[in-house]
Amino acid sequence: MNALLEVRNVSRFFGGVKANVDVTFSVEPGIVLGLIGPNGAGKTTLFNCITGFYPPSRGDIFFDGQRINGFSPDKVCKLGMARTWQKVRPLAKLTVLENAVVGALCRTNSVAEAKEIAFEQLRVVRLDKRAGVLAGGLPIGERKKLELARVMATRPRMILLDEVMGGLNARESEEIIELILEVRQRGLTQVVIEHDMKAIVRTCTRIVVLNSGEKLAEGSPQEIVNDPRVMTAYLGDAGGAKA
Amino acid sequence: MKTLVACIVVALALAVVPLFIESPYALHIFILLFIAVALGESWNVLGGFAGQYSVGHSAWYGIGAYGAFILLQQKQIAPWFGVWVAVALSVIAALAVGWITFRLRGPYFVLASIAVAEIIRLLSLNTKDLTNGAEGILAADLPPLKFGNTVITDWISKTPYFYMGLAMALFCIAVNFFVKRSKLGYYLQAIREDQDAAHSLGIPPTFSKNAALAISAACTALVGSFAAFYIGFIEPNQVFGIDVSIQMVLIAIIGGIGTVAGPVLGAVILVLISEGLRTTVAQAHLLVYGVLVIVVILVMPEGFLGFISQRLRRKAATR
Repeated sequence: MNALLEVRNVSRFFGGVKANVDVTFSVEPGIVLGLIGPNGAGKTTLFNCITGFYPPSRGDIFFDGQRINGFSPDKVCKLGMARTWQKVRPLAKLTVLENAVVGALCRTNSVAEAKEIAFEQLRVVRLDKRAGVLAGGLPIGERKKLELARVMATRPRMILLDEVMGGLNARESEEIIELILEVRQRGLTQVVIEHDMKAIVRTCTRIVVLNSGEKLAEGSPQEIVNDPRVMTAYLGDAGGAKA
Repeated sequence: MKTLVACIVVALALAVVPLFIESPYALHIFILLFIAVALGESWNVLGGFAGQYSVGHSAWYGIGAYGAFILLQQKQIAPWFGVWVAVALSVIAALAVGWITFRLRGPYFVLASIAVAEIIRLLSLNTKDLTNGAEGILAADLPPLKFGNTVITDWISKTPYFYMGLAMALFCIAVNFFVKRSKLGYYLQAIREDQDAAHSLGIPPTFSKNAALAISAACTALVGSFAAFYIGFIEPNQVFGIDVSIQMVLIAIIGGIGTVAGPVLGAVILVLISEGLRTTVAQAHLLVYGVLVIVVILVMPEGFLGFISQRLRRKAATR
């Protein structure tokens, strides 16, 4: 099967710091790929390289067969790859609806049409009742949902979610997990960074483990959970507690 | 809809003012007010919507003023044609500057904008052949505006300036109204709130900021040439000086930045305060003016408009 996203031997250095070293994996259409690893493993750096916030120091990134190294973030988004942020970035002085409209304008020039698309996405994440509220006034759970609605409004072919469950309580996390599963059912490709192993096992088709910038393992959720290397690198050092 | 009706009513009421008021001083205050409104709205497109706090807009103001003046003086081109050439020049210069300075963010952009305006001021002081240097240019007599053979105005009374100023202020307000609701408007506000998030949602930040700057500079240049002809004299420090830039920023900040009505409110407040003080406390007017501005900014960080709507919301909440 042709991969939608292909990451080939990607390295990213910041001066002497090796944030990513020779990372290779591919994402087939329709799957949910989990990207896990201890803090500082280089997950977010990899996201930043893929979405154009900085070019990889070495290696190549292909999206739908096209080499996208050095493409600007807006171009990457126009190609159909949209990302959320680990630290949520609501457009605070715009309303919830306007936030989603900004995303929707990626595919249309008509503000009226963008509003319709935006509202539809707000309904999907169940924020439609909050449409008129300023985004800066939302609690964290709703902010995370807004991030999701905003990227969905860009009508992407693939979304990259950077810890959309970080900082949420159990009930809120559950809602997000259900949203991810819903989106998965609709066939939208996803790459998910997450620390919560239970959420990862439930949502992902395949998992890639990063450690100190390198790919440590790749496999099905079952394989990863039973991999002793992953246990030491990732689960072991957290002492069994949720990271 | 209600606001639109209200705007039309106010505009019509203003349009009949010269029929009843003959005092040139009163008309003068109105014209100053229109200039201030237009300047605040012009700045607001870039500073308010896109959040790029330019303190160098005197550059575009001055190019508008000098452009139209020089074309009239040296090429005998009537201002109502020359203005558009000056506006075009200003946009070209602005885009060249934007291409360089929009790589900078926040305070660095502010500093760069000041530097650019200073460079242009010094250039205008030193290109004597073109600008007459520090001596400035006194406006040549304006050719009368004719329609066919009937003379519409010979530019002696203040009335034609009143109507042109009113039209210009309304135009700048309309520009803000439409930009805010357009795709570009959403892009600019997204960039203001969080440039990286905007970028990741498919918004090209540099292109959008340049579009805002082009619109902002065009309006500013238009106001600059109008004000120059109204005053009848220009010199580098007056039109390219930082005072003009700061005035534009203050009108928007005091009224309510990033809103369409804010600069109108800011202009009314600042023009009335400054004229009122000038006639009452004479020499101390700049000092009092400065203190008042500081107090307003401290008490109402969201501007007058934000202050009022906050009060209304609180009142509604307690009921």
